Amino acid sequence: MIVHNDFPEDLESLPEYLSTWITPNDAFFVRQHLPRPRTSAETHKVEVGGLAANKLSLSIADLRKLPQVSVPAVLECAGNGRSYFRPKMPGLQWTKGAIGNAEWRGPRLADILAKARASTKAQFADFDGLDVGVGKTPDFIRSIPMRKLQHPSTILALDMNGVPLPDLHGGPVRLVVPGWDGASWVKWVSRIELADKMHTGFYMNPAYRYPKNPVAPGSAAKPEDLDVLEGMAVKSFFARPADQTKVQLGTPVTLTGPAWAGEHNVARVDVSTDGGATWKTASLSAQGREFSWRIWKSEWRPAKPGYYTLCCRATDTAGRTQPIEPAWNPSGYLWNAVDRVGVLVEG
Amino acid sequence: MRRLIVLAAAVASASSLLGAADAALIERGKAEEKRCVGCHSLTIIGSQRLSKTGWERELDKMVRWGSDIKDREALMAYLVATYGDGKPMPKPTLSADASASK
Ligand code: HEC
Repeated sequence: MIVHNDFPEDLESLPEYLSTWITPNDAFFVRQHLPRPRTSAETHKVEVGGLAANKLSLSIADLRKLPQVSVPAVLECAGNGRSYFRPKMPGLQWTKGAIGNAEWRGPRLADILAKARASTKAQFADFDGLDVGVGKTPDFIRSIPMRKLQHPSTILALDMNGVPLPDLHGGPVRLVVPGWDGASWVKWVSRIELADKMHTGFYMNPAYRYPKNPVAPGSAAKPEDLDVLEGMAVKSFFARPADQTKVQLGTPVTLTGPAWAGEHNVARVDVSTDGGATWKTASLSAQGREFSWRIWKSEWRPAKPGYYTLCCRATDTAGRTQPIEPAWNPSGYLWNAVDRVGVLVEG
Repeated sequence: MRRLIVLAAAVASASSLLGAADAALIERGKAEEKRCVGCHSLTIIGSQRLSKTGWERELDKMVRWGSDIKDREALMAYLVATYGDGKPMPKPTLSADASASK
């Protein structure tokens, strides 16, 4: 892994770890805002309160007794790719790998909210985890609107890829908000507060907001021109070959990587081996369920020696396609440029 | 002509004096940075590449969040000189398992 920070842990997957449908837990990126709390599956409780007639205090065993659903879904940090923006902005300097696809399993939020008899006045639920800020650092609390919480794929995950959720990834229980930025996927969830308004803390405002209209690179955006980030962008990238690989002429080269599209589905991935002058459609792995990624593949037989710039570009069912230059934004979110790697073919 | 040369020499020695003063300031700033570890390690600081304004804003934010900076001038000089927006990005740090697979 690429170590961006060891305390708290911010770890990025190398692109070559991302060539399979499921990203193994120990190769999955980690992004902690605040130091990891200590808790255990035996003692952990999730309190549900606020605008609910039936306040709850649920143990992990209680959560396991509810109907369990499996949701394969991509988790991507909103700031994935931030290091590529110019001018640069503060924040973790992720390259490609603050993303992974896992199978998450646990009860539906809709079932928990029904059990709590959520009031019809509730518009949001505020999710707080056991992690707390040091000094005057704000607590990490995220408000998720009811329409997304009622979605059958929005769950409290207790398992990740068939094992109890590791505490590095928010175990024993984290929120899974398929298609949305990683910041929504609150870890070590300890309190769910139903409310009629969005939470006003730092991690809802100004953090994790994106300009409604593009701003000039390097300029500020007025607070009222920013919206809460929700669904993620359409994106594909090269897991292989790695950038600056050398290959021998005559050996076919497999070009491959993942493609995903937030709340939409991937329709197509095109690849170019001449810097984007001409394009060819890649094959896509069988359609997984929505919210997970598909693996694209294309065989390449270079005709002659030389240096090649390979590109890949995904298009989704909503008609969105990867741009050459993603919109610069003050926090460096949603980098999804056409991906490129350079390959030297030796004769 | 002679006067010009004398002038140039004077400017050069003044700027090398300034250079030494800068170096001392930057050294003090480096020591100040070591005090930033209360809430996170220093790695997250060294991977940023920010302009002077960018670093000023960053320090304002850290102070708001409870960081106690004793020698801000020195810290600023160190941050801008070491992690300014013109500096090349650091080489990625790999975990032991990743370096093994390479
Ligand atoms: C009171 C706690 C605290 C102290 C002390 C502290 N920081 Fe931070 N710092 C934070 C938090 C919280 C973050 C955000 C961590 C995250 O979201 O990953 C952060 C992040 C950063 C970042 C990354 C960019 C960003 O804004 O997210 C930089 C750079 C930084 N701090 C610099 C410093 C410097 C320089 C000092 C010493 C003067 C310092 N910090 C001391 C709490 C602190």
